[in-house]
Amino acid sequence: MPAVGRGFIERLEPPDFDNSHWTESVPLRNSKIAIVSTAAVSNRGDRPFSWLARDYRVIGKNDRDLVMTHVAVEYDRTAWQQDLNTIIPLDRLIEMEKDKEIGSVADNHYTFMGAADPRDMEKSALEVSKKMKMEAVDTVFLVPV
Amino acid sequence: MCGLAQIFESQGFSTVLVGFVKEHMEIIKPPRALWLNFPMGRPMGKPNDPEFQKKVIRVAFELLQKSPGPVLEDFPEIIPVKEGRMSYALPVDLVYKVNQLGDIDKLTDEVNKELSNLMPDYLKAIDINGRTTVGASEMKISDFVPYISEFAKGNKPKSPRKGLPAIPLLKLVVEDLNAVYTETRIYRDKIDNFEILGKWFWEETNAGKLLLAIEAVSLESDDQVLRQIASMSLLTPRFWSEGPLPGISGSGWT
Repeated sequence: MPAVGRGFIERLEPPDFDNSHWTESVPLRNSKIAIVSTAAVSNRGDRPFSWLARDYRVIGKNDRDLVMTHVAVEYDRTAWQQDLNTIIPLDRLIEMEKDKEIGSVADNHYTFMGAADPRDMEKSALEVSKKMKMEAVDTVFLVPV
Repeated sequence: MCGLAQIFESQGFSTVLVGFVKEHMEIIKPPRALWLNFPMGRPMGKPNDPEFQKKVIRVAFELLQKSPGPVLEDFPEIIPVKEGRMSYALPVDLVYKVNQLGDIDKLTDEVNKELSNLMPDYLKAIDINGRTTVGASEMKISDFVPYISEFAKGNKPKSPRKGLPAIPLLKLVVEDLNAVYTETRIYRDKIDNFEILGKWFWEETNAGKLLLAIEAVSLESDDQVLRQIASMSLLTPRFWSEGPLPGISGSGWT
């Protein structure tokens, strides 16, 4: 954590989550992987995320025409302007699937607004879980912005 | 992010996350986590560098083979940042008062000329990249400056977008305008340096000056939402300089 901003982050009260859950991993070569991002990215034309959004958007494996409606402006946005994979590495996972490093890439991936309290996202996260189960996802790769 | 990992793990998925805030990762203890000492906004590290990006993914995925958890490891490479900054931030003394703003119509004309001069390279950038991130506002680029300059004059124009009020739309237009400029400069000058791009946009362009004028007007506005988004640094990148503007609680957003 860089020094500047540390004070603010340290003052935030982290949510008290049950951290006893543990799911044994499927071997990577057989694992279907979905990305969950908190970058508040969505397909062009989707409803923008509100400032403390608790909901989510779905991004297809081949969707690349995306826009960002994250409430925060203090982090770098020039990296994703250059390359979507800097924040949502779909092309990299597809390459790893072709190279048989991973089993497969899910057809659907999910984005949230990272600014909201994760406890308030639980309902949405359970909905996403149902969708991922329908698609037989094994592993979730969580990527912030 | 750490909390979401706990929820997904409880639902029978194995999870692995990458993250920037090690303090939170240590407290929340997600099942498998890789700490990145990178600037925020770059979780895969480097744009257009597939090998580096895959290295981050591979190191993260190696954690899936470890048991029992929670597992927290550091990515072995650091992407340095300037003076501990997570991204570009405005100089703390670059804050305008309304009585310092001058002629907004003249400034608006200058921004329009500046934008027109950028457009040929912006269009080439889209052609080369095959995409643009501009468009969250769903307004035409030619409508950006007229819309936001109304706020700089102390007015609150009606939102042209159904279902999205004027101030949330203002925020998206501000970000879209910023993105037109930075995407153009990245293409034109082959720059991947957010400090250079941020300094140029916010401190050297007329567009940056117009947005600082909106911030000044917003801070003195009777409109609570406008005042709040300006004071919380949701229009301008101030947060990581010295925290939010003086007298404002960064955690006070409701």
